[in-house]
Amino acid sequence: MDRTEALLIADLCEGDETALAPLIERYKRMVYRLAVQITKNSADADDVMQETFIKVYRSIHTFRKDATFETWLYRIAVNEALNFVKRRDRRKESTLETAAESEYESTVRHSAQVANDPHAQAEKSELRQHVTAAVNSLPLKHRTVVILHEFEGLTHAEIASILNCSEGTVRSRLHYARKKLRTLLKPYMDARTV
Amino acid sequence: MRSKCHKIERLVSDYIDGTLSERQAADVTSHIHSCGFCKREVADLKKTKHLLKNFYTEPEASDTYYAQFATQLQQRIEESAPTATYQRIAAAVTRFGWQLRTQVYRYTDCFRLSRFISIRQQVLPYYVLALTMLMLIATPFLLTHFPLDNGSDSVRFPSTAIHPGVTLGVKQENAASHGIGTRRNLNSERKTEIPSVDSGSDIWKFTNDRVVDGYIFTTLHKESSDRVPNVALDIDSELLTYAEFPAQDATWAQLTGRDVLTDRRYALLLLRGINTRQHAHQEYERKRSEFRGFSHNLLDVPIEMMSVEVGYDLIEL
Repeated sequence: MDRTEALLIADLCEGDETALAPLIERYKRMVYRLAVQITKNSADADDVMQETFIKVYRSIHTFRKDATFETWLYRIAVNEALNFVKRRDRRKESTLETAAESEYESTVRHSAQVANDPHAQAEKSELRQHVTAAVNSLPLKHRTVVILHEFEGLTHAEIASILNCSEGTVRSRLHYARKKLRTLLKPYMDARTV
Repeated sequence: MRSKCHKIERLVSDYIDGTLSERQAADVTSHIHSCGFCKREVADLKKTKHLLKNFYTEPEASDTYYAQFATQLQQRIEESAPTATYQRIAAAVTRFGWQLRTQVYRYTDCFRLSRFISIRQQVLPYYVLALTMLMLIATPFLLTHFPLDNGSDSVRFPSTAIHPGVTLGVKQENAASHGIGTRRNLNSERKTEIPSVDSGSDIWKFTNDRVVDGYIFTTLHKESSDRVPNVALDIDSELLTYAEFPAQDATWAQLTGRDVLTDRRYALLLLRGINTRQHAHQEYERKRSEFRGFSHNLLDVPIEMMSVEVGYDLIEL
């Protein structure tokens, strides 16, 4: 946590609302990325983002300096996203949810179709779709660990802290997720791409 | 799959992350060189990791979206400010509190001591110290001559009516709330009932009851004989307390300075030369301060419960 961030947090603690904007600017992409990947929907991600930053604004006085602000924010964002997905899943019929293609996957496919090099990019784009679909097909708990570890680059200890579980649990979930992904992506592990 | 492969399988994920210890990593490396199955497992997981790293599309939003988001969030914070009204009220209350405090200070400032007496800040501690010492010195003198208990409920005991060594005074109306005699019936029906105290082997009974100014003066005697015992028993709510009385024919001169009864736990200290209730109280307080380990439970026994001529001080051994 650099000094500027520390000052912003201190200002926010004292009720200075203007200190929130720079923090949002700094972390908006991270929170958005996380929210979309967990909820698999940009509209839902928007809700999660709002809830996350409102929670940051209201609970900043509970932030202790024993963890970095980033880890604290990760914890809030992940928990908000997980809770959102759980609430949503309870509301919606699970059959519709699983049958329908996630908006995130369709976005990935769309971006693949508009790629410049039709032939060369086609394979890679198709592979991107499959990889994204494979990740999205993982159970929520395993997907969350994969996202945090593989894409956000967090350590096992940090993930354990964010998810409030043991490092062993994180390792176990990660191992299970990788094995599942290996099975799903086995057909695409040829020499040309890997 | 061999048992070794099972062990290695648990480590493979950490192996490709490079988070194993050197020894564990060496174990996995040596194993996968000799085991084709595990070698393929590791290779596949490495490829999977590679695919995730290079072909996973991370979601990203446009700058327009982020700009809109910031605006919406700001609006939402302002709209859903949880305590806008509360904050206004709290601020008003705080402001009022400070104004009130200022006014009070301003008012009390008119009467502050320093307006009338010039006291230098540096010597103020010495003034306080001197005042404290003066109070410490004067307090015993003041208490002796102006006791807090001015004797509004005191009773003058007729010295001729009661043998000094064998009486206990129990205030009738308050008897139910005190330890001594609380088990006794002190109402009008008492005449038909002989109250007793069971000390284990002997039964002691109260006799010769007299009611003087609302106090009952009584002695105890053994059931088996008419002889006045030299030990009287009172039962506190929790403690059995003993009170030694002088023998029937004893005189004050025959008593030693400290006639202490020893028992399992308690003894009584005889307070000698007590003439008045006030004197008894003073002596009682003095003894209290002299002896450590004094049973405060027993000290709660009011002085009214003892005859003024002789006071017994209970000391925990």
